[in-house]
Parts: sequence; C-alpha cells; structure tokens
Amino acid sequence: MTDRTTAPPPGPPRPYHFPPVTRKRLANGLEILIAENHAAPLASVRALVRSGADHDTADVAGLASLTADLLDEAAGNRDGVQLAEALGLLGASLGTGADWDASYVSLDVLSRNATAAFTIFADVVRRATLPADALERVRSERLMELLQQRDEPAAIAAKRFSGLLYGTGAYGNSIGGNPESVARITLDHARDFYARHFIPNNTAIIIAGDVDAAETVATLESLFGDWPRGEEPPQPVVNPQRVDANRIYLIDRPTAVQSEIRIGHVGVARSTADYFPLSVMNALLGGVFNSRINLNLRERHGYTYGARSTFAFRRHPGPFVVSAPVRNEVTRESVEEVFAELRRIRTGDVEDRELDDTKSYLMGVFPATVQSSSDIAGRLLDMELYGLPHDYFDRYRDNIAAVGKDDIAAVAQKYIDPDRALIVIVGNAKQIREPLGSLGMPIHEMDIDGKVA
Amino acid sequence: MLDLVEYRLNNGLRVVLNEDHSAPLVAVNLWYHVGSKNERPGRTGFAHLFEHMLFSGSTHVGNNEHFRYVQSVGGVLNGTTFFDRTNYFETLPSNYLALGLWLESDRMGFFLPALTQEKLDIQREVVKEERRQRYDNVPYGTAFERLLNLAYDPDYSYHWPTIGSMEDLGAASLDDIRDFFSTWYRPDNCTLTLAGDFVPSEARELVEQYFGDIAPGGSFPKFDLVRRTQGGERRDVFRSAVQLPRLYRLYHLPGMGAPEWVHADLLSTILSGDKASRLEKALVLDKQIATEVAAYVLPTEAAGMMLLQATAKEGVPIDDVEKAIDAEIERIAAGGVTDEELSRAKTRSEVEFAHQIENYDTRADVIGMMATYFGDATMTQRWLEPYENATAAEIAATTAKRLGADDRVTIHFLPEGE
Repeated sequence: MTDRTTAPPPGPPRPYHFPPVTRKRLANGLEILIAENHAAPLASVRALVRSGADHDTADVAGLASLTADLLDEAAGNRDGVQLAEALGLLGASLGTGADWDASYVSLDVLSRNATAAFTIFADVVRRATLPADALERVRSERLMELLQQRDEPAAIAAKRFSGLLYGTGAYGNSIGGNPESVARITLDHARDFYARHFIPNNTAIIIAGDVDAAETVATLESLFGDWPRGEEPPQPVVNPQRVDANRIYLIDRPTAVQSEIRIGHVGVARSTADYFPLSVMNALLGGVFNSRINLNLRERHGYTYGARSTFAFRRHPGPFVVSAPVRNEVTRESVEEVFAELRRIRTGDVEDRELDDTKSYLMGVFPATVQSSSDIAGRLLDMELYGLPHDYFDRYRDNIAAVGKDDIAAVAQKYIDPDRALIVIVGNAKQIREPLGSLGMPIHEMDIDGKVA
Repeated sequence: MLDLVEYRLNNGLRVVLNEDHSAPLVAVNLWYHVGSKNERPGRTGFAHLFEHMLFSGSTHVGNNEHFRYVQSVGGVLNGTTFFDRTNYFETLPSNYLALGLWLESDRMGFFLPALTQEKLDIQREVVKEERRQRYDNVPYGTAFERLLNLAYDPDYSYHWPTIGSMEDLGAASLDDIRDFFSTWYRPDNCTLTLAGDFVPSEARELVEQYFGDIAPGGSFPKFDLVRRTQGGERRDVFRSAVQLPRLYRLYHLPGMGAPEWVHADLLSTILSGDKASRLEKALVLDKQIATEVAAYVLPTEAAGMMLLQATAKEGVPIDDVEKAIDAEIERIAAGGVTDEELSRAKTRSEVEFAHQIENYDTRADVIGMMATYFGDATMTQRWLEPYENATAAEIAATTAKRLGADDRVTIHFLPEGE
C-alpha cells in the first residue's frame, strides 16, 4: 500500500543556472545584453529606453506612451501596414509601449528569421518617422480608450489612487494621460520626446533566445554602431504627497455590485537596501495566494475573488498598495480586515512556518518564472533598468535566505504606516457610505475625474 | 519533434510523458474530461465551483494546504474550467515530482471525506465574487454570456458560460458536489501529462504508486451535444453602462481541429491582429470607424465557434461598423485571400504554437488537450500539418459556407440611451 499520510520527501535538488550573459557597450553608449537559450526556435528582443511616463509633465500627460504608440506607424522606408506585412512574413511580432520608468520596443521572432527582423527592429528604434496623420488617428484611439476606462472600476481606482498620492508630479499622472492632456499633445512634442530620449546612451538592447551571441553582437554593431549619441536626459522629479491621517476617498459608481478598494501610501524605490526583507515581508502579507490578506479576505471570509498587496518598486519610490474588489455589503469589514493585517505584520507576530514557506517559495520559484526566452529577456531588462549587479540572480537565493523574523517586523514598521494611509473606494456610495462612516476616518467624496464634491 | 510516450494504467488513467531536461522543472498537468457542458439547467456554474472545491483539501491534505505544499517548495499552480474540460496543474522543481503526484492523486481518490458545508459556503461566495469581478461589474462583461444564450438552445449545454448564474450557484448543495465528483472525477476520465526533467522509468513507477489503486467509475451520463442548426441569424440589442457601441458576432463551426475550424483559425489571423489584417486595415486605419477589432476561434470540442468583436468610435453608428465588416467578409468569400496573406497566417500559427510548447506548463496543457479531445497525444506533433496544407481556395470556401448570414448571432452592445 502507498503511504499517503505524509507528503513524500524530495529527491536530490537539481542545479539551476541563469543563462550566462554576453555584455557589450558600444562606443556610442548603447548597452547590449545577450543570453543564449536554445530550448526553442525563438528569440526575444527588447529595446529598453530609460525614459517613460515619469518624464511626462501634467499638461501633456500621456506623451511617452503616445510617442511609443507612433513608433510602428512608420519607420525607415515602410509605412505601418508595410511594417506589419514584412514582420508577419518573418513570423515576428513587434510591440511598443511606455511604462512609468521606461519605453520599450519588443520583438518576438522565429529564430531562423532573427537577423532579417533585427533590421526592421532597428528602423523602429532609430528611424521611426512619427507621421502627422498617424498622430491624429492614434490620438483619437487613445481618447476612446480613456472614455471606456470611465466605466472600468479598477482603472478608476488606480488613477485616483496615484493622483492623490503623487499630485501632478511624475507617477501622479496616468501613463495614458487624460482627455485634456492628450488633446494638447502635438507632433512636435512627440518628435522632441523621441529625439531626446531614444538615443544610444539612454538605451539597452536585450536579446534572449536561440541566437549565437557573438554573431548577434556583430549584427547589432552594424545596425546601431553609427547611431549618434545624445545628451543624457535629466532625471524627473517625484513629489509624493504626505498623508496626515487615514482618509477615505469615495468615488460613487451607482451601478457597482462590488467595491474596488485601494489602501496604501508611498513605498520605496527599487534601489533600497531593504529590497529582500521587503520582498519576503510583502509576499507573506499579501504577495502570493497563501498570504495573510488573501487567506483572510478570500479563504476565511469569502469577501473577494482575490486580494493582494504590492510594493511597486520603481526608479523612484512607487506606491505600496493593497487592492481588493469585494461585494458591496462587506466593504467596511474588508477595510477593517486589511488594516488589522497591516497592524499585525508590524508587531513581529510571524510564525516560523509561514516565514520558512514564504522564503522557500521565493527561492524555489525563480526557475519556473524564467523558462521562456521572453521571461529571460524580461529579467535582463529589470537588471539593466534598475542597475542590479551582474551576479544578482546567482546571489538571489542567499539574499532571501538571510531574511529573519526581526527583519520582517523592522521593514514592516519602517515601510507600512496604518495610521497615515490613503483609502480609495470606487463603489455604490448609497450602499457603502454609511457603514464606512463607522470606521471613524474622514470620508471625502470625489467624482471619477478626482473633483472633490 | 516532441518526445511523447503515451500509455494507460489498468484503471483507465491516460498518462503522457514528455521528457526534457532543459530546465530542472517538471509540469504536472491533469485534464479531466468534464466541464460546463456536463451541467444541467438549474446547476449552471457547477463544474467551475467544483474546481474551487478541489483546492480545499482532501483526506491527507488540509484546507488550503494544497496551495501551501506547492508554493512552499517554489512551485506554481492553478486550475481552470471551460466548456469541455477542467484542468489542474503545477510546475515544480523536478525533485518534487512525487509531491505533485501525491497531491493530485489524493484529491482524485480521497476527496469526499474532507468535504464540509463550510468549505462549500466559502467557495460559493468566492465564485460569486469572481462572477461580479469579471462579468457583472465591468463594461461589456456579460457579452459572451448573451452570445451563448442566443447561439445555443436552452437545453444545449453551451447555452450558458462556465461561470454560471448567481441563482444556480446559490442552489448548489453538498450532495451535488458528491454526485459530480463520483460521476466525473475518476482515473478513466482523466489525462495526466508530465513534461520536463524526470527519468521516465522512475516517473512511471511513481504514477503507478500514487494513481494505480484509485478505482474507475461506472458509466457516464449521456449528453446530447449535437447542435441543432438554427437557420437564420439571431440578433439582439443590449444597453448598459458602456461608453462606446460594440458589435459582437458568433459564427458556428465544427469542433476544434476539424478542417473548417482550422480554416477559420487561419482566417481570424487574416482578419485581425495587426495593421496588415483585413478588418483592422479597413475599419481602424482606412475608414477609421472603429477603435479595435478582433476575431478568434475558441478551443471547444463539442461545437466550434468563431467570435468577432469591434468597437465603434464615438459618434459612429454601430450599423456602419457591421456593414463594413460584412463587406470585408463577403470580399473574402467571393474573391479569396492572397497567397501572401495565407503565408503570413500560417507563419503566425507556427510561431504561436512554438510559444505554446516553449514552457513545460503550457506544453503539458497542449498535450493534455490533444489527448483529451482527440484521444491521441501525438496529435501535438501533427497539429500544424492541416495549417501548412490549407489552401487559399479552402479559406474562401469556408468563409462562404460558415460566415454568411444564415447561421450566426449578432449583438449590439450600446451605451444607455442610444
């Protein structure tokens, strides 16, 4: 008979090594990172431009992402349709976009066609023409997108939360902008952003996949070597607002059958020396399925399909936020439970088992998250964007293993403040206003554009 | 070519092994051949609610311990429910293969004793929240449900979506759970796929050790899954809190893998997906009457469907969008597609499939699907052949036959007041 009473013990662990990375910096400052991975006949290519929506000013919020949207509208001697046709024949998909800290051009391609696709990729990175008619079309598509987001509770909550936290400075505007700012963006704005930020000394090209590193470096040198260097753009200023006490901002959505809850405040930059203890603490608090906040709200109470906490580690301090969509009737209870968890994690009340489980999860899960070439490229991209040391992935396990119980309490006390948090709730005000009142926190009602009533 | 070994245990469990040592990981993947198509009216959403219950522990695994066991060794896991199947999967460090098999066999063979009313009540609430979050509280969230309602007769089990109705979720009882488990959750209704870093002889032994003594079940209940053709188009207009009008269209196809389904899959790539595609070029770039358009086929077994959606720009009547779409489809039905369009679509299928089998977890899932739907895991190795062999004339013929007005569903999803 099979003994089913206890979990079977593991076999001997098999070694895992992150693929070796070939690095090269061209004379014009362009960084090149290549990781060979021959498990599948695919290659993932990323251009990382270290300027994103954090460079948008409030009056033209959305500029970085609108510029990114224009890159594949015409480049080199091809228009948008010709680019799509040429890429399609090569089995390549090209994407462009902007995040808070960076802009991207990505290419995923059958490796047998990689070299041909690199040429088109280089056109999009270096020789996008940003045509005027495309701007008008892309702008009107963006305006329609913003219009649609007015009915999406999660989008409304995210926008109001960052707006309240960061004001009109970087990270306070939406990446996509708002209708007024998008209407103001001109072709000159976009061309200026492209000219100032898409320069080799602000860019890294990252490739993972079924390629030969030495050959690929040579190809990239020929495609990017004569790209003229530019003046490095200045760092944007981030102005987080201090919250003086817990405050609820209630945004009425009369048709809502759930309340979208966001609770948090400003967190800390990716470069913090506390990154590893913070990562363990957050995973235990609300970062994974079996974390306290999710087990509490979902598995103990059935209030939600899923609740989580996140430290948005960015170049400058991003938000710490707990998010949960819950049914109207339990909105107050959910807020209370989240605050109870935020207070408890600060007391140092951590069981050995949950700490061990969390650490072994973070240490063990890494190989499962870097199987594909696009996963590997994503890791290299983070490494490059946040200036992580070259041995970062090799030392990752040791850094997690070193986190102790005291560290959890220490970083929780340092980075989580349950007395000065912003609470944004998008929901059915008529139904939830009164119960929320009993929490004893001031309630400010605002509309979905952030105007306080 | 993927290396596949397929065999059955004496109790009927189908096992597929795909040995690959590129990473020190193993994907453990189970496809149970049961989904929302095996629900009866009055108990919709049940297969999916049941999936949630299967994470709530079994005789030797406590409530929420399944997640804990897997995550605490660095594994990732989940389960999903669809019309025709329910899958459960974890990717583990390869030295924990036995752990994965122990967990999966415990809930296949020893689930019922751990079942409690309290667990059911909690998961019922969680699933209701899932419905609110994904369907009821988001714009256009009920569109698919409305399409299915029109596309299939009320007694045909594609008539409702996997999430089910709030009322039916409320009605599900412990006895329902017990019956459903006994009827469907058994080795002879399951495919277990292992993909990754293991020694096949050792894996075989472990599979036998953990699954070999689980008893098969009796006969399966009958479901009539031959769709009655409706003849003509079914249409509806629905108004709700959305900002822009959107068109939803459903075309009927034979089930996944049939030649016409493959043609429709290629056709959907020719219609949408990039700036060179027919509908995106015509509606979004040239006429600029739509903000987005998408066409795709669903991986369904009993009956096939191709879905199409397009969002009108503000101020553009949805009828104009519909006319423009129909004109493009008629153009293909009458004039066909170019060799270059077809070549791009074939290459796209090749790339997408390459991505699907790149990681152990998605690869194991594809293998499980092939074994479950086609009774033959090696279909994975031949999956792209009908794509490669498809001709432009066949694409045109399938377009003419399947995408006409005589058997389709159209819904206009409009802002309130329009």
